[in-house]
Amino acid sequence: MSIADATLVPITQRAWLTPSRRAGIALLGVLAAFALLGPLLVSVDPTEQDLAASLAPSGADYWLGADHYGRSMLVRLAYGAQLSFGMALLTVATAALPGILLGLLAAWRGGWLERILDLASTVLLALPGLLLVLILLAFAPGTFGPLYLGLALTLWIEFYRVTRVTAAGVLRQPHVEATQLLGFGTGYILRSLVLPEIAPILITLSAFAMSTAIIAISTLSAISVGLRPPTPELGAMVVELLPYYAEAPLHVLMPGVLIFLLVLGLQLATRSDVR
Amino acid sequence: MKRLVLARLLQAGLVVLVVGILCFVLVRALPGDPAMRIAAGRYGPDANITEAAEVVRRELGLDQPLFVQIGASLGQLARLDLGHSVVTGLSIARELRIQLGATLWLSGSALVLSLLLGPPIGLLAGLRRGGWVDNGSLAGAIVLRSLPPFVLGLLLILVFAMLLGLFPPAGYGTWRDLALPALTLALGLAAVSSRVARDAVAAVARTPYLAFARLKGLPEPVVVRRHVLRNAAIPVISYLALQAIYLIEGVVVVETLFGIPGIGHALVHAVIARDVPMVQGTALAMGLLFVVIAMLVDLACHWLDPRPKRT
Amino acid sequence: MNAPVRFQSLTVSDLAISAGETTIVRDVAFTLAQGRPVTLLGASGSGKSLVAHAIMGSLPTGLSARGAITLDGEDLLAGSPAQIRARWGRTIAILPQEPWLALDPTMRIAGQVGEVHQYLHGLGSADTTTRMRSDLAEVGLGDRAQAYPHELSGGMCQRAAIAVTHAAGASLLIADEPTKGLDAALRDGVVTRLRQEVEQGRLLLTITHDIAVAGALGGMVGVMHDGALVEFGPAEQVLEAPRHDYARALIAADPAKWPSFPLPAAGEAVVSARGLAKRFGERALFEGLDVSVRRGEIVAIVGPSGCGKTTVGNILLGLVAPDHGAVERAAGLAPTRFQKLYQDPPAAFAPHQTVRQSLGDLLKLHGLDWARAEASMARFGLGRELLDRRPNEVSGGELQRFAILRALLLDPVFLFADEATSRLDPVSQKDVFAILIEAVRERGLSLLMVTHETALAEMVARRILTLGSPENP
Repeated sequence: MSIADATLVPITQRAWLTPSRRAGIALLGVLAAFALLGPLLVSVDPTEQDLAASLAPSGADYWLGADHYGRSMLVRLAYGAQLSFGMALLTVATAALPGILLGLLAAWRGGWLERILDLASTVLLALPGLLLVLILLAFAPGTFGPLYLGLALTLWIEFYRVTRVTAAGVLRQPHVEATQLLGFGTGYILRSLVLPEIAPILITLSAFAMSTAIIAISTLSAISVGLRPPTPELGAMVVELLPYYAEAPLHVLMPGVLIFLLVLGLQLATRSDVR
Repeated sequence: MKRLVLARLLQAGLVVLVVGILCFVLVRALPGDPAMRIAAGRYGPDANITEAAEVVRRELGLDQPLFVQIGASLGQLARLDLGHSVVTGLSIARELRIQLGATLWLSGSALVLSLLLGPPIGLLAGLRRGGWVDNGSLAGAIVLRSLPPFVLGLLLILVFAMLLGLFPPAGYGTWRDLALPALTLALGLAAVSSRVARDAVAAVARTPYLAFARLKGLPEPVVVRRHVLRNAAIPVISYLALQAIYLIEGVVVVETLFGIPGIGHALVHAVIARDVPMVQGTALAMGLLFVVIAMLVDLACHWLDPRPKRT
Repeated sequence: MNAPVRFQSLTVSDLAISAGETTIVRDVAFTLAQGRPVTLLGASGSGKSLVAHAIMGSLPTGLSARGAITLDGEDLLAGSPAQIRARWGRTIAILPQEPWLALDPTMRIAGQVGEVHQYLHGLGSADTTTRMRSDLAEVGLGDRAQAYPHELSGGMCQRAAIAVTHAAGASLLIADEPTKGLDAALRDGVVTRLRQEVEQGRLLLTITHDIAVAGALGGMVGVMHDGALVEFGPAEQVLEAPRHDYARALIAADPAKWPSFPLPAAGEAVVSARGLAKRFGERALFEGLDVSVRRGEIVAIVGPSGCGKTTVGNILLGLVAPDHGAVERAAGLAPTRFQKLYQDPPAAFAPHQTVRQSLGDLLKLHGLDWARAEASMARFGLGRELLDRRPNEVSGGELQRFAILRALLLDPVFLFADEATSRLDPVSQKDVFAILIEAVRERGLSLLMVTHETALAEMVARRILTLGSPENP
């Protein structure tokens, strides 16, 4: 309800570090420690087989058990987490950098540049992203190249559009006009007025894009068109272990849970408070 | 309204263009003789393949300028001539007609199921913000959105098929086969649509027109029915156009996972087998299905919201 | 439907409203009787709207009211939420501020009036239609029943809202800022309409910041300040001879009552434009317009909203290009000596920067030192504690004075004030103009002001440019 005296009602300032963000950052920290330190504790090659230990349960030799070839689950999961996070980070960085810069440029200059970029994004968005990635994968199934290219091609658009719309919104405001009249230049306006306004939404968007990339890579690997065994890719691991569900149900679930925790951590760490 | 349809028709044209060009490049990029591959894709298994390849070589020239070749290949698409699978030799148009039924059944029932789950939960959550429905559905949505569809599907198979034995883990034919795959997709869709609905209801609840509807004396059920529902439905339905992306992508994954003989399943297998005409046909069908859903959503929004559209 | 019940009086005594432990409104007491409407005057943030919502029983969650509010002997503060809600529409109705936002954008007017008969009074569909038609005809909207709110003007939406309250049958009417966002011509129409409500025997409580509305409505006037009712009495007495300090300041802030001031003769033209023309889409805003502003002169542009007043100023500043015509500035002046003040002061400052940051960056850019800024702050009555706040934590009046301070640091020759005080309360408006007039007198600044308030323009400006009313599409 709009009440003209709203200013009389005391407001409580909300902290940036909400409980959900705190939990998300802690979760990501634990996962990072696992992914980076795990292999150091047990210095084993993730592809080293020991058929005698096939499907070994958790224990002293294999902390998290061993898979059907007797490979250490802990090491494979740790490498899988590194791989997922690393590939997603590379993909998102490749998408975000040009997306944000082109978005700023389009918001600032407009004109033919904006029209060309809009046309390019409309063409790429005509098809659901996964279909584009799938067609590219037909060039070289089982490799990271087409996955990377396809995901980056789909994801940059979101960065471009969000940056352009938010930046254009800021640039339209009277305080930008006032700043120009007061003699400030383009650099100051972009750095001190636009960037602080668009940074929070770009951080959320990056986390969202990371989640999308992690899920897409593992999903495509799980349906055998992405990365393939023996690469310790989490999605591929789930499918690889699925036939042994009856003997070792926990083994099948572990890679899936790891993907879930990675994405959950990203979501929680950048969640904005609901109003 | 004309503009809405026109924009979506343009998008359909772009889908044909993007898929056509990518597959054109693909057929020439793969190792081996492209003329042979094109001939196999175009004339099917009955043709004398060496002779047909010669015809293709002469006709396309393969020495002609690239844009002439692309034009010819897109022209073929425009005539709805999708050719034959190079693996099975079957007519792709006929294959698609059979597969389309499975895909429509799956995506349709998933969509209906998600609409039965998501928006009603969102409405309850939005009417009592901070209540247990709100908090519970928020937690559920966060969890579901963090689960890749194949993990969610596997969990459902493990619980409902293997532990409880309620539904078959894979197969196609009866509604019981469809239950788990449709639920996998519907849960993912409902996770988002429940939050969109909740936020839409919360936004309507903050508007001056809702305050006035109460202050003019209408009982709460009338306020909800006459003023909340329609206004909150507009963003929920327009968001469905974006959810169509998730639906189409999910159909590809879920069909493959559950072994449903639909278009998405065929697309994945065509990619693995590098059956280019089949990749082209299935990708085209899925892309156009997406455009059709988005257009229906546009028309529904247009019908619900009388305000002039901003361009 | 039976003949509506007409109430005799509403009595408010010892009303206090608190948010948790903090009391934000206190000592409110007045009586509203048949034929003598009550108007509560005050700036935004004075608590006047909260009083209205306390009577209605629609305070936001977290706020609670104490004291007594009785309507013909019935205690309005007592009663369960359900009982309070049962009074809405039937007994008490509120005329919402900005009625174009208070009508459901996706429902036709007929439905929004008709549903009151159908669901409040349980009428059948035939009766509902008949009643709805007569309600709309009574406020002159008989032919617009099938329109959606976006197809109606602001004044028509206001009348549609009145039709809704008539349909509901309430005899106590609370008008919350009924003229907010309306220009002068429509404002008079609303006041006339409200007077009719009083003549039909309804009790009327009006909440407004507009002294002219209070005067036109007559009856009793109360002045609210900082959450307290500081003065209450017959309109003519309160408006002519207020006793309380704030009430006196508020009444004296009415531009019509400002003292006149001398200005030295105007100098050479600082900026002049000839043959200006600008179209907005299909519509021509103006054609063949000549404007010039001379040194030490105050020029006002007046006209109804949407007539292109602001565009003229922006063309002179070089922010907007005219379709035809040319703008010429006096030679040898740096571009930063042409400055602008904005309608919404918080929008003219970067929302995440403290006032200290934005002032500091400006001083650094132009090689000025803090002492100058601090000296001006002292003169403009701006405390140092404001420096470390963000724009939305500073009041509109203070922020607008910071905006003037910021502009004056660059020693401007031309200042375009675009509705610079329309969002401020009358007292702040007077403060802002005192500073501006001083700058014109002492520095020879040329001031171009755009306003929709003719009284203000007539008081301040030496020349007034009236832009024609646009043909409505």
